[in-house]
Amino acid sequence: MRTLLFLPLILACCLPAASLAKSWSELTPSQQQALAPLSGKWDALPEKRQQKLLHFAARYEKLSPEQKERMHQRLQHWSDLTPEQRHHAREKYRAFSKVPPEKRAQVRQMVREQQTGKAASGVPPAPPPGH
Amino acid sequence: MNEKLDSNAIRQMLNRSAARLDQPALARLREARELALARYDARQAAPAFAWADTGSHGFTGGLRTGYYYLASAILLAAFLFSLANLGQHALEHDESEVDIAILTDEMPIDVFVD
Repeated sequence: MRTLLFLPLILACCLPAASLAKSWSELTPSQQQALAPLSGKWDALPEKRQQKLLHFAARYEKLSPEQKERMHQRLQHWSDLTPEQRHHAREKYRAFSKVPPEKRAQVRQMVREQQTGKAASGVPPAPPPGH
Repeated sequence: MNEKLDSNAIRQMLNRSAARLDQPALARLREARELALARYDARQAAPAFAWADTGSHGFTGGLRTGYYYLASAILLAAFLFSLANLGQHALEHDESEVDIAILTDEMPIDVFVD
C-alpha cells in the first residue's frame, strides 16, 4: 500500500507543467532586450513558441555583439516563417554543418563576395531578413 | 525440575499435554494452523512482491497480488511517459540550438530558407 501512496507524486512529476505562457510585461528586462523585435506580437504567440524564444533569450547574453545584432535583424523574419519553412531551414543548416570545413569556408567566402559585389555595384543590399 | 530436559522429553511432555486438551481448544488450534498455512501459500504464490509486503493482513493474497500488479503497471507507464518527455525535451533543445545558430551565423538566413 505504501507504494501506491507515492503514485500521485510520481504521476505529478510526469505531467506537463501548467500553462507557462507569459505576457510581454512579465518578461525580465534582459528577456525583453533579447526579444525586442518581437515585442509587438509576443502576447499573440503560442505558448510553445514563446518557450522556444525564451530559450533564445537565455542564450542572448552569451552572444558576441555581432551575433546579437544579426539575431535582432533576423528574429522577426524567422518568427514569421511557417513551421515547415523553419524545419527545412534547420535541415539545410544541419546538412551545411556536415560539409568539410574548407568547403564551408569557400561557400562563406563566395556569399561574402556576392554581397560585397552587390553593394559596390549600387544594388542595394538585400534588406535584412527581418524587414 | 532440576533434571536436564532433552528434545525427546519435551516432545513427550507436549504430546501428553495435547492429549489432555479439550475439544474447543483443539478446534481453535486447528483453525489457527490452517489460517497460517493459507497465508503462507498466498505469499509463496507471489514471491516477486514479497518485498512490498506491508503486513496488511486484511487483504487476501489474490487481492494483494492484483494491487501490486496494478501499481507496477502504473509505475512502468509513468516511467515510459517520463522517458518520452525527456526525449521530446532533448529534441526541442537541439532544435533551439540550430535555430540560434541560423539566426547568428554570418551566412544570410535566406541561404537556408526556401
